[in-house]
Amino acid sequence: MPERPESLRRARPLLGTFTDIRIIDAGSACPQSAIEAAFMAMKSIDEALSFHRPDSELSRLNAHPGSWQPMGRHGLRLLKLAQILGRHSDDGFNVTVGGELVAAGALPRHVSHTFIPMGNWQDIELKPGHARLRRPVLITLDGIAKGYAVDLAIASLKRHGVQGASVNAGGDLRVFGETAIRIVLRHDNGLALGNDNGLVLRNDNGVALGNEKGISQVLWLKNAAIASSRHGGKEDARFASRIITGNAMPESAQLHSVIAPFAWRADALTKIAASGNEAKLLRLGGRRADRRADRRADQSLLKV
Amino acid sequence: MSESLFNNSLWFIPMALVAAPAIATDYLSIPQAQQLLFAQANQFSERPTLLSDDARDAIKSRAGTRQRQSNQPIWRAEKDGEFLGWFIVDDVIGKHEYITYATAISPTGEVLGIEVLSYRETHGGEVREQSWRANFKGKTLKDPFKLDEDVPNISGATLSCRNLLDGVKRLLTIHELYLTKDA
Repeated sequence: MPERPESLRRARPLLGTFTDIRIIDAGSACPQSAIEAAFMAMKSIDEALSFHRPDSELSRLNAHPGSWQPMGRHGLRLLKLAQILGRHSDDGFNVTVGGELVAAGALPRHVSHTFIPMGNWQDIELKPGHARLRRPVLITLDGIAKGYAVDLAIASLKRHGVQGASVNAGGDLRVFGETAIRIVLRHDNGLALGNDNGLVLRNDNGVALGNEKGISQVLWLKNAAIASSRHGGKEDARFASRIITGNAMPESAQLHSVIAPFAWRADALTKIAASGNEAKLLRLGGRRADRRADRRADQSLLKV
Repeated sequence: MSESLFNNSLWFIPMALVAAPAIATDYLSIPQAQQLLFAQANQFSERPTLLSDDARDAIKSRAGTRQRQSNQPIWRAEKDGEFLGWFIVDDVIGKHEYITYATAISPTGEVLGIEVLSYRETHGGEVREQSWRANFKGKTLKDPFKLDEDVPNISGATLSCRNLLDGVKRLLTIHELYLTKDA
């Protein structure tokens, strides 16, 4: 069965989840090799920066607090972004919560030393090619790295000459090109398909923001990223992530979906959305997928 | 293009309750996956493998996960008679997900690649066909841009792929126990 060369879709298990790449307009690229390269880009993030892998660059950093550890380009970039977001959100976005997650059994323990449950953005120190932890915190990039990997995959597709594509890593997804793609949100009780009203509101970027009841079930997304995180509710082995907000965990699971220009930012900002601080979310350049766009907020995006 | 959605006869089905898969993406056919995972191969011979109850018990105790099916679809990949490895098709069944994937295993038991062939995810409950179709409605009114009519992407809590990786481990056990001597 010959494939239409301009359209191709593949899925692989990567980054602890299912990743899906779809080429909508191959442009000048060979779609097969472009997809392969994009998967490889995501795999490199998985290998270098996974908390779950004891041999990753990140695990080496966590294992040696107080000493400079070699860190690759992407690790440095991610830690820098995490620092900036941590600073601007008063640690509402915090990658130093690994200790608390290990203590809770949500992440594996690879280090033998005593660690503190949670630090702040100032615990991360960076210099060219190296990173250092000021205190024995454990860094987890789970809240930002999947989104970043999606951005890398998109960049790789563009470099190959692809003109339109989407990349989805377990719900952190981004689309570029002339075509809008359809997004279905998955809540704890299943896919949110029951949109009884067809009229969809849309902002200037063509992002559909919900029907006229204000309920956003199926979205159309163009040249933007969306990410979703589950917060609260009963533990579910299928959805292993956990968010710490400093407030009590909600009894029933909530879904927080955020739209932003880049997937790393959407991914990271779902944690701000979970904390309920919408003003902060807007200031940091994201917005809830179930709200109409606020143009003023868009114009005052924090440049990161 | 917008009109065709409304003219589709399905649109006029009266409020039928359908327990249909809500998201169903077919990524690759078996021959496409074979070609992708063993680009060099020019022959795939099916090696029907029927696993006895004892064999399934042995797989479970070694791999840690249950061998559901007794008939595992396995192909031998060759290039001009030279043995390249095994191509195995398997399923992962989750709470709402049903995933078919293919794994390529080298003659020495290494995973050469994994490709998802199809992904099905059902709604938590029954899906009303009518309201599902209603989702198309708003999109066709004076669309300022092209809309992709492909199967939607899901954004939600990150679904763990551990089931699938456990499945691959089980396939490696099948290889170790039953395929090494046939190579």
